[in-house]
Amino acid sequence: MSLRSDDRQWGSVSKLFHWVVALGILGNGIWGLLMTGMSPSMTKIGVYALHKSIGLTILALFALRLAWRLYDGAPQDEPMPRWQRIGAHLTHVVLYGFILAMPLSGWWFNSLHGYPLQWFKLFNLPALAAKNDELARTAHAIHESLFYLLLLVLIPHVGAALKHHFFDNDNVLRRMLPFGRVNRDKTSQGELS
Amino acid sequence: MTFRIRPRALALVLALAAPCLATASDYTVQPGSTLGFADSFQGSSFDGHFDKWTAAISYDQTQLASSKFDVTVDLSSAKTGDNDRDSALPGADFFDVAKFPQAHFVTTAFHQQGSQVVADGMLTLRGVTKPVSLNVIFKPQGSGATLDVSGSLKRLDFGVGGGQYADTSVIGADVKITAHLVLKGK
Repeated sequence: MSLRSDDRQWGSVSKLFHWVVALGILGNGIWGLLMTGMSPSMTKIGVYALHKSIGLTILALFALRLAWRLYDGAPQDEPMPRWQRIGAHLTHVVLYGFILAMPLSGWWFNSLHGYPLQWFKLFNLPALAAKNDELARTAHAIHESLFYLLLLVLIPHVGAALKHHFFDNDNVLRRMLPFGRVNRDKTSQGELS
Repeated sequence: MTFRIRPRALALVLALAAPCLATASDYTVQPGSTLGFADSFQGSSFDGHFDKWTAAISYDQTQLASSKFDVTVDLSSAKTGDNDRDSALPGADFFDVAKFPQAHFVTTAFHQQGSQVVADGMLTLRGVTKPVSLNVIFKPQGSGATLDVSGSLKRLDFGVGGGQYADTSVIGADVKITAHLVLKGK
């Protein structure tokens, strides 16, 4: 498996970015939804600090991922109807927007609330806005809503990947799976054992 | 033999003795005076202050032996500009104002450190009494003066934010104390 992508499949760097960001966003999102109900305690402070640190990591990974994507390129689209190809790319653009907006809206909310922002206790990041309690409530609602919207966008993304894998038997999912091997022969119906 | 007190001689003796008998001047604290503290949370510093406190100040730079600060602080009046923090501070984990509504600082001695005057005293906070020293800057102004003090204490010495909040990598160990007093002579 190559680090770089080729015209048929994603390279291992792109795969790593995809799955780490995917698991990070889902995990951190669910973590975030659960933590808001906690009563004040040192544990809550720690839980929030971890949520913020993971979110910032996702933001940094997203920047690296974007840079890598521009450098590395992407495999050619699998054969599929035009509307599916456009839909897939549109979904990816929207997902990229959400991956960026999730941590940024959290950072914005954190700033408006006047909380410090620290990355794994190692260094602090500046506030994006001045303290404003009223706007902080709006920002929190936006931060939370963005996650629900992201989950909605995941329905066509994941749904299409599964549909292509199980019904069309093509390489759409296989070429992004961590240890997946693409079927080089377009006419065969899967890997020969 | 008769012993006659000569008024002029007595006046002279009293005048010579006066500096030895003199005591520090008493002052009252005027509006505009502040009592603040500062610490850090998650690597970011924050300032707080107490809205309610009283201080009895007797001070004279040349009469340090008879100078005295006596300060009482209403701990429930702590404000740090953050609702979460301000609602946590009076709680049992921090100041525990239900059990210990006030903090009290009283000087035991003053000493000179180079040109700097240092007030040594005992601070009683959250049921614990420990020595705390404050740097003193006293500037006479007419019949009054301004008094600036600064010092630092370790919050865990007094059990402030002990227990689950004891982690000093999250809440800083050292708390800086600063006060600016506008004084009027009594």
